[in-house]
Amino acid sequence: MTPMQLDLDIRATLRSGKRSFTLRVQCVSNSQRIAVFGPSGAGKSMTLKAIAGLFTPDSGHIRLNGRTLFDSAAGINLAPQQRQVAYLFQDYALFPHLTVRQNVGFGLARGWFNPRARVRQEKVEHWLTAFHLQELAHQYPDELSGGQRQRVALARALVSDPAALLLDEPFAALDPALRVSMREELSQWQQRLGVPMILITHDPEDVRLLGEHVLTLRDGQIDARQTTWEEKIG
Amino acid sequence: MRFAPLAAFLSAALLASSASAGEVVVSAAASLTNAFRDAAQSYEAQYPGSKVSLNFAASGVLLQQIVKGAPVDVFASADQETMDQAQKQGLVLPADRLDFVGNSLVLIVPSDSKLGIKNLPDLAGKGVTRVAIANPASVPVGRYSEGALKTVNLWDSVQPKAISTQNVRQSLDYVARGEVDAGFVYGTDAALMKDKVKVVYEVPLASPVLYPIATIKGSSNGAEAKRFVSYLQTPAAQAILAKYGFKKP
Amino acid sequence: MDVAWTALALSLKVAAWATALNLLLGIGTGYLLARARFPGRNLLDALLTLPMVMPPTVLGYYLLVLLGRRGPLGIWLQEHFGINLIFTWQGAVIASTVVAFPLVFKPARAAFEAVDGQLEQAARVLGISEMAIFFRVTLPLAWRGILAGVLLGFVRALGEFGATLMVAGSIPGKTQTLSVAVYEAVQAGQDASANMLVLITSVVCIVVLLAAGRLAPGRIVHR
Repeated sequence: MTPMQLDLDIRATLRSGKRSFTLRVQCVSNSQRIAVFGPSGAGKSMTLKAIAGLFTPDSGHIRLNGRTLFDSAAGINLAPQQRQVAYLFQDYALFPHLTVRQNVGFGLARGWFNPRARVRQEKVEHWLTAFHLQELAHQYPDELSGGQRQRVALARALVSDPAALLLDEPFAALDPALRVSMREELSQWQQRLGVPMILITHDPEDVRLLGEHVLTLRDGQIDARQTTWEEKIG
Repeated sequence: MRFAPLAAFLSAALLASSASAGEVVVSAAASLTNAFRDAAQSYEAQYPGSKVSLNFAASGVLLQQIVKGAPVDVFASADQETMDQAQKQGLVLPADRLDFVGNSLVLIVPSDSKLGIKNLPDLAGKGVTRVAIANPASVPVGRYSEGALKTVNLWDSVQPKAISTQNVRQSLDYVARGEVDAGFVYGTDAALMKDKVKVVYEVPLASPVLYPIATIKGSSNGAEAKRFVSYLQTPAAQAILAKYGFKKP
Repeated sequence: MDVAWTALALSLKVAAWATALNLLLGIGTGYLLARARFPGRNLLDALLTLPMVMPPTVLGYYLLVLLGRRGPLGIWLQEHFGINLIFTWQGAVIASTVVAFPLVFKPARAAFEAVDGQLEQAARVLGISEMAIFFRVTLPLAWRGILAGVLLGFVRALGEFGATLMVAGSIPGKTQTLSVAVYEAVQAGQDASANMLVLITSVVCIVVLLAAGRLAPGRIVHR
């Protein structure tokens, strides 16, 4: 198991007209499976985006595996491109103009051109097979089912060997039956690959199965009152 | 009953805006713009209730408008040829046509020009790259210029430098702006922009520049049209034309 | 008939150059205004749209004053490059470019705004540089909308008259485009010539408009 050390302490205030929202999250963890739990609007997405570099907090620091991704005092703010994490969006954000194969191989091509549709790369093929996507490899995202799309998004994320996998409500878009099977699959995958994972969700079932270290967020702050989930240090 | 005054006002306004008896539509060559505006004002003062609508463009353009049915009552052209064409197409009766003013053809340059252009042959020189000459196909001054240049065998060397304009006022404007090195306009046009252009040469012509004016056959305001044309021959009107540099015919 | 084909060739040349320029300018400004947030953004958008609502003759006048022998830009061009754009086909290109610019820029901006920003975010996290993201994600998803604008801009440039007449004049073979040729033919009473020119222009415009219609955004992105 690849160890993950997360050291996060961020602050941000957003204003919209008369309303304002303050985010204040701290977390230090060695866990392989961090779950951030809370209702909609609690600030979970903002926190995850901050780790990925898609959102810049007003102050604080974020360190992952000893690497400083963000430190306002030191003036460090790595671009998303440099953070080497994988981010799974709620609606997968698959590139609609590229095939499944091209989507999965997207991160491996660094230049100004997309991976060619007909060309096969070993690494890409490996992941396509692993996620049972070979028959779908030449199809486009709008031809796939929700579950298939999620697998493509996962494969795309994992192909670049990320230091951590960030998942934004990964099962919210799936129907309940599919959710159950996908949760199992993800759990198995995570264990098999040993990729550290941070997952945000408002679904308690996700937390139960996939959360080892659980953070509860409410209104932008960590809720120290744990309900039925105790903090388990692995 | 409250609406009666409003209704009366509206109908008066509507009636007033349509071409009523007493309105004369005059199409005149571009070079007559300033002179005719003054003359029209003077005419309306002389005959209260009358109205003159003026339409200025190159004579050839005006002719085409009339050919295609524009409701024109009086046509004043800058050369005989255009009026001849009008006559040939049955738009004008010979008896209704007369020459009412004359003009001169001049070569002008921008007032700050340092090219030292003094006559027509100078136009063929290397330092001269652009000469404004109105399009001979539809503009009289272009025809006069082409004729003059051909007479002294300079057309072939000057024509490649010609910037073809839509009417004499556009030629004048280009010279005033310095966009061209020289241009051909009428003496009356040059006089309007004494500070921006200078006349370097008065071009001698085989036949003098004479402007014919005529009433259009079958126009709806025949009587008014005739009255306007007659007015232009009165001393008052002639004085206005002379003020702008037009010569007696 | 010779006049007609010369004028057509010249019109196509001027319109092609103007469209090529607008493709670059339109994409650049469209992308900038779609993505960047800065004070005065809306004001800039309005200014850039101005040529679309201004009468072409007014635009032509501004260009004449700016690029003429005594104009600030004209003097600069003369001093540094020895060129004068008035009465040249290049001047006609400038006039057409300015006039048609909003028709290219506005659809481009809309097309870029329609691209899901989250896709660009996904590409960022996958480690792709900003430039690569533009060419691999943003542009491929926006190109249909952009192209529709480009075609409209082309037709507009093809038919440009008022500004062109002022800036480039009407020199047969050099700056006498189709629309100007029609104007002059009518003025000179050459109806047969005018009819031919009008017919040619109409056919070209209809063809291009049909092509633009087939590229309307909203169609399925792939294939």
